[in-house]
Amino acid sequence: MLSIATGELIQIFRNRLVLITSLIIPVVVSAFFIRQHETYAALGSLGYIAAIVMFTITAFGLYATAVTTLASRRQNLFLKRLRSTAEGDAGILAGLLLPVLVLAVVQLTVILTVLAVVTGAPANVALLVVAVLATLAMMVGLALATAGLTNSPEHAQVTTLPVTLGVIAVATWVGISGTENLAWLKRLLPGGAATELTMNAWNGGVAVTDSLLLLAPTLGWVVVAVALATRLFRWEPRR
Amino acid sequence: MSTTPVIEVDRLNLTYGDFHAVKDLSFEVRPGELYALLGTNGAGKTSTLEVVEGHRRPASGTVRVFGHSPRDRRVVRPRMGVMLQESGFSPDLTVRESVRLVGRLTRRSDDVDRVLDLVDLTGRAGRKVSQLSGGEKRRLDFATAVYGTPELIFLDEPTTGLDIQSRDAVWATVDRLRENGATIVLTTHYLEEAQQRADRIGLMHQGTLHREGTVAELTRTLPAVIRFSLPVGAPALPLRAVPDAEGKVVVETFGLQHDLHVLLRWAQDHAVELQGLEAGPTRLDDVFRAISN
Repeated sequence: MLSIATGELIQIFRNRLVLITSLIIPVVVSAFFIRQHETYAALGSLGYIAAIVMFTITAFGLYATAVTTLASRRQNLFLKRLRSTAEGDAGILAGLLLPVLVLAVVQLTVILTVLAVVTGAPANVALLVVAVLATLAMMVGLALATAGLTNSPEHAQVTTLPVTLGVIAVATWVGISGTENLAWLKRLLPGGAATELTMNAWNGGVAVTDSLLLLAPTLGWVVVAVALATRLFRWEPRR
Repeated sequence: MSTTPVIEVDRLNLTYGDFHAVKDLSFEVRPGELYALLGTNGAGKTSTLEVVEGHRRPASGTVRVFGHSPRDRRVVRPRMGVMLQESGFSPDLTVRESVRLVGRLTRRSDDVDRVLDLVDLTGRAGRKVSQLSGGEKRRLDFATAVYGTPELIFLDEPTTGLDIQSRDAVWATVDRLRENGATIVLTTHYLEEAQQRADRIGLMHQGTLHREGTVAELTRTLPAVIRFSLPVGAPALPLRAVPDAEGKVVVETFGLQHDLHVLLRWAQDHAVELQGLEAGPTRLDDVFRAISN
């Protein structure tokens, strides 16, 4: 698994396009949100900025890159090659996804730390970590499922749009309008509960037990995504 | 040496939707032999190989490799090397990185430089795979298959696109591996390679094993051929012969030595020049042509 991960890391840094879309753009967008934090805090709250930054990085950095990577490795038969070795399927996927996952974690840590330094520490750091981890799991699961529907890296530009735009839209909706109205709809949409959980962790003022209940929809999406992935994921190109 | 088969295939069936690609196929490959799985296009040999390699699940039937399911990668794969029909390397990794990565994942140990030297890619070690020619990619593929000297090696069209020097080098390496007891499963479109090297041949046609045996066994059922042109006004031939499409005379015989002798003596006695004389045993090509007739 680690050999595959090392190979992937080399490839990410050799492929400028991937490096820009997965690393640079999410960081630039996040930096913009932090710089304009007063505007966005007035619009929603500081917790909303944390949530939107989290989804910018996990949707464009992690999710879209993971789908593109898997589609590309399948298209040039690299997946089949890896499956000709003694490595198991889980180890292959883990190795392929580990570098983008680690990059996303590093990006999130740095950017949320900067946000905390600029605007003040979050109310509950542990809860924030839980929210981030649940979101990472959901986005990895969705990436595996989407990769099954994606024929090529070019095709990924289209197939990733519903999720990337969807979670950003949901996070914005929940972040700005709160969950007083349509609470259940907002929480059940992918990213909705995670946004609320992130806001609670950053802003404080909500009982931790109530917040933890918000993990259920996000983990539910993980289950749905993994179930879809086991049905949809393909190791070889369609012929 | 153990006589337990390295590969056992028993009543294998494989379907793609309505298409029955492989039908009740049974064969075995013994330790140390070079078994060539040959066939017409669409005969089902690639599908069969993919099941035996563990890439595909059969519709029914059993396949055992070293006595285990080929899908049990942890147990089976460290003992076998696979050269795929299409390369499947990451274009952004270098040749050395590719060999090291795939080599490590086989769980065998070897020296990357030794393997690169084996396939004459030492000079290309630092190049990205995307910069390799087709033949160099085949050699890279071969390098990963023989990394760590596995007991069983699958060679799927190993010499397609290779120049004659590379082809000879590949076969020299295969010969060395065989001296150390390796078992080889080969598919190829170059029938003369199979004819020269295979201990046994399985000839597939329309999803079944049409014929199986040594080269001699396969060619024995078809006559050998003598072919030549006769000058105008030559006397009657001593043998039964037919003209071919190019106007040459063709003699088909199961007694090549005898009939050739008769023919040459007749030519000598009558001072006839047999122009473009060719005589040879039945070739695998002819066995192939006989399938479709």
